[in-house]
Amino acid sequence: MASISSTVSEQIAARLTPYIGEFNARMWVKSVARRELGLSPEDLTAGHLRRLVDGLRPFLQTLMGRAAADDLLLKIGREVH
Amino acid sequence: MRFRGLAVLPLLYAAVFIAIAWWLAGGPAVNLFNSWQRILVRILAATGCFCAVSAFDPGDHLRRAWQWLGWGTIAILIRDVIRLLVPAFQAGNAGPNEQAVLNGLGVLSNLGLLVGIVLLARSWKMAAIALPGGRAGSIAVVLITAAIALVVAGPAALDGAKAVAGGDWTSLMKVVSAAVDIVTLCLIAPLLLTAVSLRGGLFSWPWGLVTASQLCWLLYDAAWALSSTPAPGTYPFPTADIFRGMAENYLFVAGLAQLWVVRQVRQPSALSLDPASA
Repeated sequence: MASISSTVSEQIAARLTPYIGEFNARMWVKSVARRELGLSPEDLTAGHLRRLVDGLRPFLQTLMGRAAADDLLLKIGREVH
Repeated sequence: MRFRGLAVLPLLYAAVFIAIAWWLAGGPAVNLFNSWQRILVRILAATGCFCAVSAFDPGDHLRRAWQWLGWGTIAILIRDVIRLLVPAFQAGNAGPNEQAVLNGLGVLSNLGLLVGIVLLARSWKMAAIALPGGRAGSIAVVLITAAIALVVAGPAALDGAKAVAGGDWTSLMKVVSAAVDIVTLCLIAPLLLTAVSLRGGLFSWPWGLVTASQLCWLLYDAAWALSSTPAPGTYPFPTADIFRGMAENYLFVAGLAQLWVVRQVRQPSALSLDPASA
């Protein structure tokens, strides 16, 4: 279970990394997991994906605009399991 | 390669500028060349800003930032054009009314650029970007840039303020410009830290290039502060304008980079996703 949970946070971070760099990708996932779910990244599962995506949305919208953020989060929602 | 090419463009511009200005220095043609190249770089900078605006939808935070930068650049472009082409506004001819118009455009431009840079600099906080070096490291960078900004632009602000206090309202733009310089130069710190924090990601490019633009303005201010007023009939090499040209060119390429990175998020297949190959 732990390895599956870890994979979810890593999968999301991996999809953010090309745009915001590895450091921020990991920090954002960690920060949203703690703030929105009260969990550490290792405890995330696919069931948390929707709230994680919603938590990431304001950060991404600031940096890349609403349309691009929505596109990227839609892609993450489709590809991360 | 596309983004690295953007980063090199202002350096190429500087090299061409130096070659031509060197060739013309000593004669009146250098002033004409300098005036027209100034208009060229303003047009480039405004183009870059509005390219970046086009990447965003109405209401997006960064759209507002780039709009302010773009309109600020347009205002100073209008000022430069009328100073060059309208005899009543040219140096030596401008009466109080013309001077007021020029000052007004200069103040508007400075305020527009200030708001744009403030909005850009605020993004790290809004987007919860983790700045490298922790709190202590960030404070150290802020203090260093603030000290440099005060050393470079502080004397001009003081001189201008004294002149305005003495009734010389033509110095108002100098005061506003120097005050805006101090604030925007202080904001190099959050811009730089944001670019460093985003390293490895494509979004580091627009931030890095905007930071480079601000650093060139810092060099421009330093070169301007160190230069002396040319004696009548002399046409020295325009050193400070090298940095002005580079600053405006970096703003141009930063705007292009902003447009391209947002497009890449929306159409990832259109460009390589590997930041290392950017």
